[in-house]
Amino acid sequence: MRPFALLEHLRIVDKPTSFQQTVDPALISRLQRGDLDAFEAIYRQFERAAWTLALRLTGRTDVAQEVLQDAMLKGFERARQYRGDAPFAAWLRKLVVNEALMQLRHDRLHVIEVLDDTQADANAPLPWMLVDAATLDRALNRLPDAARAVLWLYHVEGYTHIEIAQQFGRSVSFSKSQLARATKRLRELLQPTAEDTPCTIGSTTTA
Amino acid sequence: MHDRLDYHRMNDDTALAEALRALPSCAPERDAWPELAARIRRRHVVRRTAWFTLPAVFAAGIALALAWPHLRLSAPLPAPAGVAARPAMHAATPALPDLAALRVSSQQWQAWVQKLDRDGAPLNGPQLARAVSLQDQIGLVDLQLSAARNPATAADLWQQRITLLQQLGLLHLQPYTVAEQAPTSGTRVIPM
Repeated sequence: MRPFALLEHLRIVDKPTSFQQTVDPALISRLQRGDLDAFEAIYRQFERAAWTLALRLTGRTDVAQEVLQDAMLKGFERARQYRGDAPFAAWLRKLVVNEALMQLRHDRLHVIEVLDDTQADANAPLPWMLVDAATLDRALNRLPDAARAVLWLYHVEGYTHIEIAQQFGRSVSFSKSQLARATKRLRELLQPTAEDTPCTIGSTTTA
Repeated sequence: MHDRLDYHRMNDDTALAEALRALPSCAPERDAWPELAARIRRRHVVRRTAWFTLPAVFAAGIALALAWPHLRLSAPLPAPAGVAARPAMHAATPALPDLAALRVSSQQWQAWVQKLDRDGAPLNGPQLARAVSLQDQIGLVDLQLSAARNPATAADLWQQRITLLQQLGLLHLQPYTVAEQAPTSGTRVIPM
């Protein structure tokens, strides 16, 4: 079976890394002057990206809703602090990540699970190459909050272990061990079952 | 063997990263913009109102503190509710207070409170209960004023009314101070 064959169509239709979009500088200038219409345009541009990131990090729609609102509110109120030395989307993404992790800390949602550290079989097949998006989505949602957040920040958002450690206020070892354990747990969880639609995470309480 | 493990891990990581990135993005179940826009507008109004009203309140407080001894000298002691019907108690008051000035002052305070009530931030539960209590007390004073025949008693009631209005106004300003303090708690500077 060709790797990612089941995911190919999703990649064409939609890009989860849409924080890589550029923002019209004129819009940013208007936003910095407090123009709500300009902010709405920017909000619409990044709504899906911000929502997806918030949902992946927190794992719950109600918390993600709060994260989206609070992060975007800060985006509007702190727009003047944006100096243009990094892409605006990256600045906005950082607001969402900060807010999501703050929610996780505030709500004590994340439980740092101690998992079995037995060495994985080097010859075992890579299960994420064989499953569909819905199955991966479901398995991702079953990870502990901190593990899922580390996994997502590292693999999808491109954070380094140092950056993740800073975000969590923990050591680099914490980031590395959470990533290793999350990967291992994900491998265990990936047992393709009934067909499901994507974006199901958060529709039920976290495991 | 070690090289093989490293190669396998790298391959594993790459495959996992690609699989995660290939997950579709999601959209919120409902449009969050109207709520967000409303929050922004509300906070904007709160900050703008606080910017103008807080210095005014501060100045009014100082003016009140300076004027208070004169008001206490010219006006008799506060009359309880039952005293309004017995004007003879204050018959010997040497100087009558300026009822017209007190009435104008009361009107000004009332207009200020109404503006805060109309344009300001919503009150929380305890603040709302306190506001209702103050409004009840103002209503009681108004009732007493309508029956007051003695100018000294009336002046005292007008003064009570002004004090209650000031308390009501300050109550409406409490959310502004909370809103101004809120950003400093639990937030972090985002270095970019």
